[in-house]
Amino acid sequence: MLEIKPKPAVAAPQTHNRIRVLSLLVLDGQNTLTKVSGVIRRRGFHVRGISVGPSRQPGHSRITLQIDHGHAEADLVRKQLERLVEVVEVEDLTGDDVHNRELVVATVAASELDALLKRGAKVLSTGSDGTTVEFSGDADQVADFVTELARHGIVDVVRSGPVVMRRSE
Amino acid sequence: MILEALEREGVEYIFGYPGGANLPIYQHLHEHPKLKHILVRHEQGAAHMADGYARACGKPGVVFATSGPGALNLVTGLCTAYMDSVPMIAITGQVVSTQVGRDAFQESDVIGATSSVTKHSYLVTKIDQLPRVIHEAFHIATTGRPGPVLIDICKDVQQADAERVNTEYLEIPGYKLNGHVNLDGARQAAQALAGAERPVILAGHGVLLSHAERELMQLAEAAAAPVGTTLLGIGAFPVKHPLSLHMTGFMGTGWCLKAVQNADVLMMVGMRVDDRVTAKLSEFAPNVKTFIHVDIDESEMGKNVRPHIELVADARLALEAMVPQVTKVDAGRGKWLGQIDKWREEHPLRYRQSNGQLQPQDVLIDMYKRARSEAIIVADVGQNQIWAALWWNYDRPGLFINSGGSGTMGFALPAALGAKFGRPDLPVWCVAGEGGFVMTAQELSVAVEHQLDVKIVLLNNRSLGMVRQFQDDFYGGVRSQVDLTHMPDFVKLCEAYGLPALRVEKFEDIAPAFDAAERTKGPFLIDFRIDPEANVYPIVPLGKGLSEFREAPEYA
Repeated sequence: MLEIKPKPAVAAPQTHNRIRVLSLLVLDGQNTLTKVSGVIRRRGFHVRGISVGPSRQPGHSRITLQIDHGHAEADLVRKQLERLVEVVEVEDLTGDDVHNRELVVATVAASELDALLKRGAKVLSTGSDGTTVEFSGDADQVADFVTELARHGIVDVVRSGPVVMRRSE
Repeated sequence: MILEALEREGVEYIFGYPGGANLPIYQHLHEHPKLKHILVRHEQGAAHMADGYARACGKPGVVFATSGPGALNLVTGLCTAYMDSVPMIAITGQVVSTQVGRDAFQESDVIGATSSVTKHSYLVTKIDQLPRVIHEAFHIATTGRPGPVLIDICKDVQQADAERVNTEYLEIPGYKLNGHVNLDGARQAAQALAGAERPVILAGHGVLLSHAERELMQLAEAAAAPVGTTLLGIGAFPVKHPLSLHMTGFMGTGWCLKAVQNADVLMMVGMRVDDRVTAKLSEFAPNVKTFIHVDIDESEMGKNVRPHIELVADARLALEAMVPQVTKVDAGRGKWLGQIDKWREEHPLRYRQSNGQLQPQDVLIDMYKRARSEAIIVADVGQNQIWAALWWNYDRPGLFINSGGSGTMGFALPAALGAKFGRPDLPVWCVAGEGGFVMTAQELSVAVEHQLDVKIVLLNNRSLGMVRQFQDDFYGGVRSQVDLTHMPDFVKLCEAYGLPALRVEKFEDIAPAFDAAERTKGPFLIDFRIDPEANVYPIVPLGKGLSEFREAPEYA
């Protein structure tokens, strides 16, 4: 449903100067996600990362988006999203001082996990096909972690989109 | 429940078509004699009628359609209204809520299909949502930058009863209205305009929507700045005014384009600055040092042209705030206006009058004499639209209606009928080519049924004229699929529908035909067999800058 430009889960994320980081407060509703993604598609933007979850306000959700704004001016992404009645608030966090967290869960074949644990990984389970660990961090830390994972024989890996919050002063 | 809500919103006309999924609404229609329902012959016709109604009288047009094909037939009409910011409410029937998603008979994802051509839309699956939704829909459709709002209502909801709720209080946290004017910005804009050596104001549809014509005139006169309008802005500034540049854009007047291309300050008010206005973007207004953009929709700022001064505000409030800020007008203004007058003489609108064939301009000039700025003219799309735009001297707002943004062929006839419902006090003329006319000609039945006094002027050149002209001028003269020799005999077609019609082939017959049309009460069609080689001029070749406009040859 969402047009998400696939990024290979194990490749280092491309740093790209056309990427905006937006935090949206939206009304819960069956049409909200379709409309948000519809605007992004038809204005020529691309979703590079997305996460959706409940917000502090009842009846509202928080969407964090990483968007490639294509040939349009950077600020147009925000303006176009703000036109939607379902979208209550758009905050552009690009370049701001933020907490930017992504989650990765991976099963690796190796049994020697010190290098991963030293980086802060947590073991979730151990099974016949390997050990499953989780790690969270900012985009660069997750990218480094994924590189490290590769040395441990990845059996499977999943990554989340980012959740971003402005740092308190 | 739905019909009561519509009554409360002050609805007078509904343009619609019943079907399986909106039967419960239609069942109760007779209990609401204040709501007049116009049964169209195709749902697209309903959307265009509601559109013409809204543009003519300013109230939102209301459309009913059933689910599936009924609702999908509205899409072109919704897009037409969306592109031109026309307030409209479309109420579509949806299958029973428990059937949604099961590919039920006549089920389609109407919200999905229409969300890119509506300002907002609702799927109503529970009765308690309905009163709030209807009230909100009218508010959203008519405020800010207006637009169509669609309400898709499941059949079981239509049958249910609900408590009447207090709809006075509206809370729509995600709906942002930009009305207020930044006074600093207004002062900067006014001073930039007045202090410019070569200023130009371009006025769009937003000026008409916010009724800012008086303020526009005051600002133009105070700052001695010439004013051009977009195709949809026609009427915002009187064409005969000494400061008028008439129409801008890639089929605009030569003197307007020269002014835009030489201006040093360009103020764009209530317009989107689309490609039909700019032509080749990189060559648009190359001498401008200060772009000023006034629009109520923030997303228009910098979408196509990045302004130096931007005012996100209602056009009337913004212009009103600017007028008193105009203090000192640049000393070189007389020279600039003199230069524009010279361009006006050097690049007049002209057409071929001497080849013995009926010219569309002759028809329009005769029409204009009769209308005396007191008639609404609804044009279709193509050459007929640009001729109608350029050859009438619109000096009052709201008299020219056409599908500018979407360019929807087939718009004119149903929109003209809608306009007549909205403004029964004004004469309404429909100008169309034969190509667009047959796309929605079935609505002639509505004209006859209600004896609507709409005069239809067919500029019939037996071809798709605009496409033919583009092929001749820009595609190496290869005429491809533009021949419309095989069309109905329009006089006989009208006879079949039950309205009088005449065919005119000679210049001398223009006036008698219009006399006959004016003597006749009710609908009347005149099939003008115009010169099939008549072209629209000036025109900027596709992909070129505005400076490269081509003019009509100097006919002997």
